[in-house]
Amino acid sequence: MTMKILLADENSQRAGALSEILKADPSLEVIRLEGYESLIAAVKTHVPDIVLVDICRADRDGLDSVRALSSSGLERPIALFVDEDDETLMEDAFAAGVCSYNVMDTPPRNVKPLLRSAIALYRRFQETTAELKAARQVLSDRETVDTAKKIFMRNERCGEAEAYRWFRRRAMQQARKMVDVAADYLRVQTKDDAS
Amino acid sequence: MSSAIRIGLLRLADSAPLIIARNLGIFERHGLDAELIVSPSWANVADGLVWNGLDAALIFPPLAIMTALGHRGREINLGPGIPVSRGGNTVVLRGQLIPSFLDTDDITRRRSFGSWRNGLSRRPKLAVVHLYSTHFLILMDFLRSVKVDTEQDVEIVIMPPDRMIDALADGEIDGFCAGPPWGTEADLRGLGSIVAGSANIHPGHLEKTLVTTQRWEQSSPALLQALQAAIGEATRFCMNPGNSAEVVRQLSRSLSNGGLSLPSKATEQIMPYQNNPNAMQFDFSTTGADLSINWMVQAMQAQSWLTPANMKRLYELGWLTPAPIS
Repeated sequence: MTMKILLADENSQRAGALSEILKADPSLEVIRLEGYESLIAAVKTHVPDIVLVDICRADRDGLDSVRALSSSGLERPIALFVDEDDETLMEDAFAAGVCSYNVMDTPPRNVKPLLRSAIALYRRFQETTAELKAARQVLSDRETVDTAKKIFMRNERCGEAEAYRWFRRRAMQQARKMVDVAADYLRVQTKDDAS
Repeated sequence: MSSAIRIGLLRLADSAPLIIARNLGIFERHGLDAELIVSPSWANVADGLVWNGLDAALIFPPLAIMTALGHRGREINLGPGIPVSRGGNTVVLRGQLIPSFLDTDDITRRRSFGSWRNGLSRRPKLAVVHLYSTHFLILMDFLRSVKVDTEQDVEIVIMPPDRMIDALADGEIDGFCAGPPWGTEADLRGLGSIVAGSANIHPGHLEKTLVTTQRWEQSSPALLQALQAAIGEATRFCMNPGNSAEVVRQLSRSLSNGGLSLPSKATEQIMPYQNNPNAMQFDFSTTGADLSINWMVQAMQAQSWLTPANMKRLYELGWLTPAPIS
């Protein structure tokens, strides 16, 4: 029986690399979370057995609470995977920046090898300087979008909602992340200021 | 010198004492090497405490309690820690024209909520920062006060506090309960109105406490007192009206420059000395303020989060006596 894994990682390079590794095992079906989908929505749509998550994802908190929230609409509860006998494994996972959720009510499966592969890969990424930056990415991305939005609001004399929608629409049209569109916008603005 | 104490916090104005203690050298003067880790969400803070990613965290009691009880995978010894802030949470609903909920009687408030809800095209989606939060408990109390069935009439969603503004702007949510300055920021941007909060639901309640892990306490027994002293000095600094501009300046600096990138105007308005019921407070010497967390524990019991065995454990960990006043 195949095991369905949902991989939620906004670092597309890392997600790609991990998905390649996992796909080498024919018993695993790997689904990558698309940019704009929320974690809960994706779990609802894809009904995975296991969710591997970048711990920096802001919507991870929502996943932790689905059991208690009637509104989550998930039929099968989901819980953080914890190996009580192997605390080092868990510490390694959090230190590397990855964790795993199990969808309950399915036959128990051995998640440890999967998590170990993920840890190894996340560590490799952590070692590069690029990854040091990525660790803070979620937060600095938000600053970039905020700044771009503020300038847009001033330029276009419009409100917050309109500015947000403009960036989001552009991002969707160009199939890019909102932060990249915002960064482009900022670059053009600074060029204009300089000239 | 021992290794740095890793302290987890979020982008919130009530993190001010930690930012001030680091940026103004207060930690250093007390012989502490502190590393502040600005986390993207509360789950990360809780997991950090459990899985050795953090030595301490500025956190609200319900999450600290649930974390201690093993909800992040294993039980850890977390006591009530060093109390840091009081109040400051606000309930915000979409729209600008909501009549004030704060000063009117129950019937008017119910009617206000009803007409607000009728103006939406869906069941209201309200966000809180974590399930196990003071914000969730305050929101539940608010909803009950306006006779809303918290299961049927609204949809509760979870997201980190600094995402609330975008989510409200984008129509993803219709309201929220979050810590400072996000409610005031929503109000200033015309996205929503503050209709309730700590101020009228649980005035002066303990909001953030600095919990430390037993692992850190045991490895650095002498430093706990230094930490208490540093936090005491930093909170007094933040309570002094003369320092307000400096605190706002530090908090609004970008993350890469040691700040929390908070909106300065909103932050200014919720500084402690302001004549604003939604202002945060770092003052624990005030008499009359209810510093006990009994209401939280009772609310948590009412939510069926705590078993009798849990209560015994909380007593052992020191949560069931009033927090010490520094």
